[in-house]
Amino acid sequence: MPNEIDLLLVERIGGLAGFGVAGSRIRCRGQLAFNSLPDTDQRLVEALFKGHGKSKPSAQRDTFSYRISCARKFGAKTVEVPEAALPATIIACVKDELI
Amino acid sequence: MSCQCFIIPEDVLERFAKDKSLSEAQRKSFADAAQFERKWRKLRATYGKVSAAANTMLASRAQTAAPPTITVYNCNHGTTLPGIPVPYPGDATAKRAFVETKAVADFYQKLFGRNSVDNAGKTLMSSIHFSVNYNNAFWNGTQMTYGDGDGNIFVDFTRSDDVIGHELTHGVTQFSAQLAYSNEAGGLNESISDVFGSMFRQWRAKQSVDKADWLIGKDIMGPGAIAKGYRCLRDMADPAAKHCLSQQPTHYSQYKNGMDPHYSSGIPNLAFCKAAKAIGGNSWEKAGKVWYSALTGFAPQPNMKMKTFANRTRTLAKSMFSKDPAVFTAINNAWIAVGL
Ligand SMILES: [Zn+2]
Repeated sequence: MPNEIDLLLVERIGGLAGFGVAGSRIRCRGQLAFNSLPDTDQRLVEALFKGHGKSKPSAQRDTFSYRISCARKFGAKTVEVPEAALPATIIACVKDELI
Repeated sequence: MSCQCFIIPEDVLERFAKDKSLSEAQRKSFADAAQFERKWRKLRATYGKVSAAANTMLASRAQTAAPPTITVYNCNHGTTLPGIPVPYPGDATAKRAFVETKAVADFYQKLFGRNSVDNAGKTLMSSIHFSVNYNNAFWNGTQMTYGDGDGNIFVDFTRSDDVIGHELTHGVTQFSAQLAYSNEAGGLNESISDVFGSMFRQWRAKQSVDKADWLIGKDIMGPGAIAKGYRCLRDMADPAAKHCLSQQPTHYSQYKNGMDPHYSSGIPNLAFCKAAKAIGGNSWEKAGKVWYSALTGFAPQPNMKMKTFANRTRTLAKSMFSKDPAVFTAINNAWIAVGL
């Protein structure tokens, strides 16, 4: 089947307000078609899903991270990526909402 | 569904930094991230070798060093840090960043004899107007960054002085106990920022523990959040309250490894609030001094357990306030009440 149904599911988590964590009343989610991304961003996402490094400690505090999955293209794997490492095209697809 | 969560390892950052098919801005962003993480780990390793005795010597030297320079930069709604330098005072947001950051520096200097986050006069840099409708403020290991909020859930993140105190305190923790950001140490790390953020707010307002509201982020709540009954991010006096955007656990029996630090911090937050209220007066005079010594008076312990921190404060309460046993009693009872 064509790539048009390879949907990336994106969730913003963390931050000073603890988005999306247990007990949080703020949720921030979005989705976009993988093939709607520019080529370089598609390659970046593919590289993220191919990665298998162990995370090292970081000095960043209260920054957002993003959980990304794409079941059709990358199976059950979910990656968690710091905001500073994600292209704006992906960050732009999520919306903050109160629940 | 299995979840193999990870964050980008350094080798991937370096690979992207050299990838000619990415834009120059993207490559630079990855190169900066890789270099920063490398430098930070080296710095952390060096700091880890500094003994508590050496810290004391540094503290006495810090008393005579110049106070930190305060700088503010404007991101103009972009995401490149730090942005363009802002001459004082700038717009209302810039002025708040200048004034409140200076006040946090004064707070640490006057009450605890600390010269900036590193106790060596490090320049305190802030970036404002980060991104568009950005609902966050953060410390990136080097500087503070503030979003303007979306005007609905949140307003300008410089509006709550406890938020500014919270972010700067992440710097203090980075240069002292070096608490990690996961499991119990992560919860302690977040709690320390809330404790000193709230204490700073009370000090600014000259509020005693009974007058204080103990709310975190009260002044950044936007009209949409207020309309739904939310009054704050967190409530140190009642972490599970319905008026919090982040409702937290109140007892250590609820703690599990893997919890987000912004969630598990409710446990030590409540302990500090209970201790300070039982002691009475101003939070920064007794409980605050004990918490500060527990954070800064020992060799770094990145994976500290909550019980270790609690026991430090018990020991310090006895030694620092030997003629005032009510301080130990209040702190001991507060930790027992939260299961520690
Ligand atoms: Zn924090």
